[in-house]
Amino acid sequence: MSSSKIEELKKQRTKQLRKRKNQLPYARVVTVVALLVYIVLINYNLKFSSFWIIGILMGVTMQRARFCFTAGFRDPIMVGSTSLLKAVLLAFMVSTIGFFIIQYHAVLMNPDYLLIDIPGQLKPVGVHTAFGGILFGGGMVIAGGCASGTLMRIGEGYMLQLVVLMGFIVGALIGSWHFPFWDRLLISQAPVIYFPSYFGFFPSLIIQLVSLGSLYFIADWYDKKNNIMKMM
Amino acid sequence: MEEYKLDCLYEACPIPLLKALKQLKKMEIGDLLIMHTDHNCSIRNVVEWTKKQGHEIDYIEIAEGEWEIYIEKVK
Repeated sequence: MSSSKIEELKKQRTKQLRKRKNQLPYARVVTVVALLVYIVLINYNLKFSSFWIIGILMGVTMQRARFCFTAGFRDPIMVGSTSLLKAVLLAFMVSTIGFFIIQYHAVLMNPDYLLIDIPGQLKPVGVHTAFGGILFGGGMVIAGGCASGTLMRIGEGYMLQLVVLMGFIVGALIGSWHFPFWDRLLISQAPVIYFPSYFGFFPSLIIQLVSLGSLYFIADWYDKKNNIMKMM
Repeated sequence: MEEYKLDCLYEACPIPLLKALKQLKKMEIGDLLIMHTDHNCSIRNVVEWTKKQGHEIDYIEIAEGEWEIYIEKVK
């Protein structure tokens, strides 16, 4: 609830405002175009059509939810609020269960499965993972958006992120150009660690869910603690 | 009661919130802060942060993709 002062100010400002443009016609045109592209793609390439529709749905969800990975990892440190971090953790829990179903299903089909046959991206983990994480994290906090956030903000018309997109493209090009060097030096030397091959499928599902759950409670506690501390 | 204005147009994500924090510290109880921003993240994180601190807050969209956030310092 807002106070009477704010209510008065709001009323006063609303009167002064010019009437806003109705954006619904644009929305209708864009929706029709998106559906047409979808229909064309279904006939042409089923995979592309799924990417198209999943991408659009993801973008809409992120924009409407004002979801932001950058803020999820930055806000706990900067302002002590963890609501987005908790959302990220919840998303991890949901995707853990989803991947469990997909991978368990794949293994049931083929009992003597190989690590490389598991659906999903299994990559070597090592120093390069941590180093890349630090680079990416620093970059996204300075740029005010990670990859998905940047694209989503350009879509909603926030022009500043276009500059970020240019840097993003240049960086990705340079990255793929000297990737073979790092791959030879570090990445191909590092081991691929896949928990289900050590603990089995069900135990590793439980372990992952329990660790994510405890992180969630720590985040929740941190949020409340910060609340009380700053109340003075 | 004083009114303060804060221009946060074209500022990247956490800057509007950090500007608001700084300004709120300088203000007296009962003062009003009017933020002008074009970043929809500010709506989310400024509103959430301010509510958590116990101040009064509300906002309106004044043009396409531009908002005014009103904050009253309560304590």
